[in-house]
Amino acid sequence: MARFDDSRPEMTAEEFRLLRDHVYSHCGILVHEDMKFVMERRLWPRLEALGALDFSAYHRYLRYDANRHVELEAAVESLTTHETYFFREPSQLKAFREELFPLLEKRNARTRRLRLWSAGCSSGEEAYTLAMLLKDERRFDDWDVEVYGTDISRRVLTMARRAEYGPSALRATSADLLERFFVPVPAAPTKVRVRDDVRAMVSFGHHNLLDETGSQLVAKMDAVFCRNVMIYFDQSARRKVLRILRDRLVPGGYLLLGHSENLLNLGADFELVHLRGDLVYRRPELPGLTGGEPR
Amino acid sequence: MSRQQGSPAEEARYRALQDLDPRGENLLEVLIAGLHDESWRVRHAAADGLQRLSTPTPGEVAARLVRVLGERGETGARNAAAEALSGLGLEALGPLVTLLGHVDPDQRKFAADILGQLGRREAEASLVQALSDVDLNVRVSVAESLGRVGGEHAARVLERLLGDSEPLMRLSALEGLASLKQPPALSLVEPLLNDARLRRSVFRVLGLIPRAAATEHLCVGLSSEARSVREAALAALGTQAALMTSELRGEQDAVIREALLRLPDARARLARALEAEDVAVRAGALVAVAASGDASLAVPVAEVAREDRLLRDVLSTLGRLGPEGGRVLLAAMAELSAPARAAAVESLVDLVDPSSVTPLCALLEWAEDDLRGVVVRALGRTRSAEAASPLVDLLRDSVTAGAATRALGVLAGSCRSAVVAALQDAVERRATPASVAVLARVGGRPALPLLRRLARDEDPRWRAAAVDVAGEVDGGVGRELARAALADEAVPVRAAGVRAMGRLGGSDAGALLRPALQDEDVFVRRVAVEAVGESGASDRAADLEALVRHPDGALARASVRALSRLGLMGMRVLREASEHPDPEVVKAVLSAVSGEGLALAVSLLEHPHWDVRAAAARVLGESGGPECLEPVRRALEAETDVLPRQALADAVARVSRR
Repeated sequence: MARFDDSRPEMTAEEFRLLRDHVYSHCGILVHEDMKFVMERRLWPRLEALGALDFSAYHRYLRYDANRHVELEAAVESLTTHETYFFREPSQLKAFREELFPLLEKRNARTRRLRLWSAGCSSGEEAYTLAMLLKDERRFDDWDVEVYGTDISRRVLTMARRAEYGPSALRATSADLLERFFVPVPAAPTKVRVRDDVRAMVSFGHHNLLDETGSQLVAKMDAVFCRNVMIYFDQSARRKVLRILRDRLVPGGYLLLGHSENLLNLGADFELVHLRGDLVYRRPELPGLTGGEPR
Repeated sequence: MSRQQGSPAEEARYRALQDLDPRGENLLEVLIAGLHDESWRVRHAAADGLQRLSTPTPGEVAARLVRVLGERGETGARNAAAEALSGLGLEALGPLVTLLGHVDPDQRKFAADILGQLGRREAEASLVQALSDVDLNVRVSVAESLGRVGGEHAARVLERLLGDSEPLMRLSALEGLASLKQPPALSLVEPLLNDARLRRSVFRVLGLIPRAAATEHLCVGLSSEARSVREAALAALGTQAALMTSELRGEQDAVIREALLRLPDARARLARALEAEDVAVRAGALVAVAASGDASLAVPVAEVAREDRLLRDVLSTLGRLGPEGGRVLLAAMAELSAPARAAAVESLVDLVDPSSVTPLCALLEWAEDDLRGVVVRALGRTRSAEAASPLVDLLRDSVTAGAATRALGVLAGSCRSAVVAALQDAVERRATPASVAVLARVGGRPALPLLRRLARDEDPRWRAAAVDVAGEVDGGVGRELARAALADEAVPVRAAGVRAMGRLGGSDAGALLRPALQDEDVFVRRVAVEAVGESGASDRAADLEALVRHPDGALARASVRALSRLGLMGMRVLREASEHPDPEVVKAVLSAVSGEGLALAVSLLEHPHWDVRAAAARVLGESGGPECLEPVRRALEAETDVLPRQALADAVARVSRR
């Protein structure tokens, strides 16, 4: 008779190393030595879902199974905290709206085109938040505006496209914003859906931030939000991601990181810009050029 | 050239240095000039370039950089030079040690600071010598740097400085000892508690002493009016808890509890500390909350899980808050951050009771997928018949099916009839084939007629489910259904038949499994190989031997393991399999070796994959005789990777005792 055992296997040091290396080679996310306990906890549900008895079996699944690519994405998703909700880090958003929007308006007055990228967008809250900020900003009425959200996990992208959210995602959303940008989901009383006109401003794509070739599919951006994504990478992966982000930004375009992040010891490809309400980074203007840029 | 900052001109200068080929000639002075640029970006690029130059030698570069350190009034250039020096590694050591003897104390201080940043133990002796410098600022820098690079010797020297007449020296000695994690005797530290300027550093050191007497001193700090002192005390309590055995931890808890009872606003202070910027303070606050058992702090405790490194401490603290803490968390789930919710759900598994069913079901409606499995586990532990139906419904979701299966098993321990009824209803409604296996396992023999019927179902998923589980209820029925399934047109059903046949065995298992070993579907072939091993069908050994060289690593590995289970792993096959390019196959070989195969394990100590080397070391540690000792020792001397080294060291110890 099969056991109904609800105990869970421990991860050995070797299993940790094998899984860590496997994940790192896939996407540059580095799980530090002192995070074995966290990795174990985060992957338990995956073992449970697959019926893998221990982490060695799970590692072999990732190596051999026909569904290994899907599972690897699920593993990466489990290992990265999707701490995201609408209007997160409001002081940064305020600085973006009040100080960078006017600059971007001036800068792109000729093309009347604006592109924002939410890199590592998880289930879409940040990308939709940016769209809502733009929607509220009359200066961009009649502009060609688009927010692009990307993530390495296809599953979260499905959620982002569905645009239905529960109470946790809305914990920093005021009643007024809730009223203006969301509609109820009849089948799920605890959920709301982002309004169609906001959804129309956002598109989503699958993208590994370390994939230089794939990044060529991303249009040139005026600003990139890459908040609390690079915390998962080691220095060399961070450098590579920054090179890619820099390449995808127009000269003079802005990079916004999470509040606990900075580019210390990561080279000086970006300039630090002191706004009144925040610190952001900027891709320097090209030598010999000011303003208009090739896209 | 224009010197405009934040401009295309600055970008041009930056790019020019970035694009320099470090193998080029005569670049040293170009980069040294870059260190003097008004733009920090250009200076940084120059410092970076200086660390990568091919010519001159790094030693010569270091000497040149040391000269820049002497340029008074050039603060930017000096700092950039220091940055470059600390990136040069061992090559910078000589010039910096020489600089420790410079006539200018400012230069000597620079040298001490950079030696600390270099992080090289080789600097210890020179730094210890520099502790006799006539200039106090230099001595302070030296003591701080010793805290970064020193060892035992440095610790003893710093300990002597605790009695220094200069408060600054005593302070840097304390900080150095704390950084080295080398606490002095408690009696040496206690007198320093009277000096308010030293208190925070004293606390850091006390945190390294796992004794209740040290805890008492730290708890005095909890009542301080100065937040910085309170936080230092908390951080030290966190450090101390991590060093304590469970018995000592009990003593620590008692002392902390006592101290908190004397504090009228303890709860508010702890709540603030749980949100402190400093991770160490949050860790200490968790220790204090665990000692207090104050369930009202469950939410801020859970929020500490936003710091991944503290997850273990958060879970342990939440566990100490009991069912009342569980109720507080359940009520607040929607307001918690994602990491806090994950920690809260994880802890709920041990904190639920029958009253938790409704809030857990509500949580399932919107919780993230990776949390739902844990919520399901918690539901299974509620000991409430009301949990049966929702759990059965969760069998339909591939994400939660595994967890729900186990949870129903656990729930059946206390509410068997409710579980069986819910499962029967699910089967009748054809809700999900997953319900079949659980029903058979919980319901037992009365489920057999149903299983027979389902094994002929038109839907292959239901057929497979019935075939998979029937043998667990009745061997005879299981064999009958498995045999029929081996010829099924659907892959999942054939695989289920093969698995069942493997479990049931019997004298005809080999003959029955033979077609499956050549199945058109590779998944069925893999399952068949495993089934041959499990059933003991030694008449299929030749088929397995042919597969150990198969390019599909999974198939080759399964064949090695199956042959090993059959006890038919000959040396020739072992050797062939050990040459497989897939390390997982080679590790399977190692788990099969014994006797004369140990020579193979010795040869695999040089395998290019670290995990194979570690596995070989383990095998030799477990079974190797004295003749293996020398090669294992040699391998240990040559090994640079930490995990194989551990396995080899263990093997040396074990073989030496034989």
